[in-house]
Amino acid sequence: MLKKNDASRDLARCGRCVPGGASMVFNSLTFVAFFAIVLVLHAMPFAWTVKKVNLLIASYLFYAAWNPPFVILLWISTVVDWWAAKKLVDAERPAARHAWMLLSVVANLGMLGYFKYGGFLLENFGALMASLGVVYQPPKLDIVLPVGISFYTFATMSYTLDIYLRRAAPARNFLDYALFVTFFPHLVAGPIMRPTELVPQFQQPRRASANQLCFGLALMTLGLFQKVVLADGFLAGPAEAVYDGTKMPGALDAWAATLAFSGQIFCDFAGYSTTAIGAAMCLGFAMPDNFRFPYAAIGFSDFWRRWHITLSAWLRDYLYIPLGGNRHGEARTYFALMATMLLGGLWHGASWTFVVWGGLHGVYLAAERMARARFAGYRPSALALFGLGLLTYLLINLTWVFFRSKTFGDAWRVLKGMLGLNADAVPILPAVDLVAIAVIVGGIVAAHWLMRQRTLESLLARVPEPALTAVWACLLLAIVIEQGSGNAFIYFQF
Amino acid sequence: MLSSTSNSDGAQRIAPDRPGFVRLTASDRPGVAQPVPVRDIPVQPWPRMFATAMALMLLALGAWEWRMRALGLEAGDLDDGPSAWAEQRRRVGAENAPVVIVGDSRILFDTDLDRFEALTGTRPIQLALAGTNGRPFLENLADDPSFRGLAVVGIAENSYFRDAIGLNAEALKRYDFESPSVRISFLLHRALSRVFAFLDPSYRLSRLVRQADEGWRPGVVVPVPERLWKLASTYDDRQTTMWSRVETDPRVRAHQRAVWGVDKPSGRPITPVEDALVASALEKTRIAVAKIRARGGDVVFVRPPSSPEFRRFEDVRTPRARAWDPLLAAADVRGIHSDDEPSMQGLDLPEYSHLSRACATVFTDAYARALARVTPRIALRADAPPALKPADCVGVDARITGVAAPASR
Repeated sequence: MLKKNDASRDLARCGRCVPGGASMVFNSLTFVAFFAIVLVLHAMPFAWTVKKVNLLIASYLFYAAWNPPFVILLWISTVVDWWAAKKLVDAERPAARHAWMLLSVVANLGMLGYFKYGGFLLENFGALMASLGVVYQPPKLDIVLPVGISFYTFATMSYTLDIYLRRAAPARNFLDYALFVTFFPHLVAGPIMRPTELVPQFQQPRRASANQLCFGLALMTLGLFQKVVLADGFLAGPAEAVYDGTKMPGALDAWAATLAFSGQIFCDFAGYSTTAIGAAMCLGFAMPDNFRFPYAAIGFSDFWRRWHITLSAWLRDYLYIPLGGNRHGEARTYFALMATMLLGGLWHGASWTFVVWGGLHGVYLAAERMARARFAGYRPSALALFGLGLLTYLLINLTWVFFRSKTFGDAWRVLKGMLGLNADAVPILPAVDLVAIAVIVGGIVAAHWLMRQRTLESLLARVPEPALTAVWACLLLAIVIEQGSGNAFIYFQF
Repeated sequence: MLSSTSNSDGAQRIAPDRPGFVRLTASDRPGVAQPVPVRDIPVQPWPRMFATAMALMLLALGAWEWRMRALGLEAGDLDDGPSAWAEQRRRVGAENAPVVIVGDSRILFDTDLDRFEALTGTRPIQLALAGTNGRPFLENLADDPSFRGLAVVGIAENSYFRDAIGLNAEALKRYDFESPSVRISFLLHRALSRVFAFLDPSYRLSRLVRQADEGWRPGVVVPVPERLWKLASTYDDRQTTMWSRVETDPRVRAHQRAVWGVDKPSGRPITPVEDALVASALEKTRIAVAKIRARGGDVVFVRPPSSPEFRRFEDVRTPRARAWDPLLAAADVRGIHSDDEPSMQGLDLPEYSHLSRACATVFTDAYARALARVTPRIALRADAPPALKPADCVGVDARITGVAAPASR
């Protein structure tokens, strides 16, 4: 069985690791100092163009803080798409437009393919040859996976593709476009922005009001609390103990660890998105929602409208629909669905376990589509909806097993444990971890159900000021005394 | 209230097909250009709330800091870790280091750098790491052409005669590559640690919550590093000492002893280390020593003391005749074993494995003098202080005598 590459292993373990190659994570002291300087510079009475140049330089510094030479990759991606889009607009013949669009796609996917999938492809080619009886030892490439390459590649590609599809006009100047690609709040882990969402915001001066600034800081507090305290402090450890250990888990430990991971991955990634949205707001910019209380989803199409929204919408608009979507009959629809989800799984990492994770979601979506057609007239009661929601959450947890496991062997060990089939199971997690998981994950799921048809903002508007202030102070204190250790966000490696 | 002044017509043109969602997302707009996002700001006095929340947090943090100091934490106790190690490792080549210490927690805790410097005029670079096999770090020095000095290798046989690096394998990776972001965070954290006592990884919120569990669930075996409470304090140059409360608080000391599990045998038989592991360790050591000597450097092994409770286990697992003696012979190096030096006998090991602060100074005094005997690379200063004896530390409260307190603290 093939193992995940080192980067994927690190991301799966990153709840406890302190990577030396970490980017400037939001939960690091470096970012606190960096962001304070950026805020001050942005508030200075400079011309708007100067402020944009400041933001651009700051964003490059943000990226270079991981590994300075890799800024070149970012530049290549930026310049290639700028010129491809420019030529595409100027081209008169459809074939020429098509060629410039293809150039952009090939260049971007080529870089992504080399850095993210080069080793994986070689490894699998070697395994394939071995299965055919041909001895082939693939070279050890040791390719460094550039932080956030999957995110900024998709962002730059959407620029060329939107112009090719005539959905968007090109940016008026290179500065606005380069800032769209590089803007640090979304650069390394999303939300994956479209040019039409961000470029217009750079066209006119923006500065946060006092309310925007302070609400942005409140969002950053919430996001960092999710990441530092809940994900890293309480949930990563139990997931790691079961998934990365060698002991056989029983049903209680296997379920507890999987539920812990479901909470960890949500708090980690939604925490990042919330912090990013807050950071952008502090500077006067608006970024889109990336999560909408996903563990209250009823069905899998609903889940994907709530989980990593900007990725699922990107895959829908630039992969699922071009593959035919639901416009060419049932068979083609199911093909497009499965292809999209399998590739979506692979986007998360160069490992077959991610492909299986995506494949399971594809199967779920296909089954849901069939069920909706078969029971078109069925109107479930509130209780039935709740039951369907719990079933959705249960099945999503099964997919997390493959997402979290380093190997299929580990996944099978945990799955057997969840089914109570590990005869030699031993207790792994201490009681305090079980209690923490029950309280935190139970709280997350309950909160998602309470909020499933609301926004966070609508709730915050109704909470009395003293209570909200006290909660804010508690979150701040919890972040500070948990201390954190600058652990990378899981999605940095995607 | 809207935070975006940009056009949101695109969003408004599409009627929400999911009532209750007050804000559309890209998932509601398939196959079209996504408009500039519109973000609501809840109607609340956010600036006033921010100022109040910060004030409350700072008040609570002050109380927390006071409580942590009352528990024995101190400002200036710097966090050890991969970045701190990498910083010292970089000094080896930059300063043409004459003496470098590698090894595990025993030589780390048991070495008083100030005493070593006072005796020899040389301040060693401390590269030993807790819970970590020193051999890969000796090999790392051996592969560094800039190192031509004396490597003092601290030996705890059970740590040295194994394949795994142990807890701090990340340190070598951090030395190979440390991102600017990580290095800046490390420097900022160290500056804050000089001011705030509460910044201590052993006293994180989640760690304190976990410590509340005193084995509530039968059968669970929590790994030793997670069961240990705070054991050490670290200062500049990675000068590491036993945390004072382990010496002064019977409850803390009893807990640390219990974690080692050496005074209550588990019933499982202790098996001698496998021959293959011994052979592998000997061969790798021989190669590393030869590389260092080929450049003009040298290596000396030091075996710090451990308590009889530990020795019961160690003498079965890695008896001297199978580990220490063959190691010296295979690498053809000199060694200083605490069993052989009267001045290293009878020292205080509060939790069985590491010396008290005061006795670390006495032990350092003894092994620095022994080094001067076995290698010409170490010479005692003419104005070196007089030799210390075990009686100078046993039964002596380090906080009162200050015998182990480095001047830089």
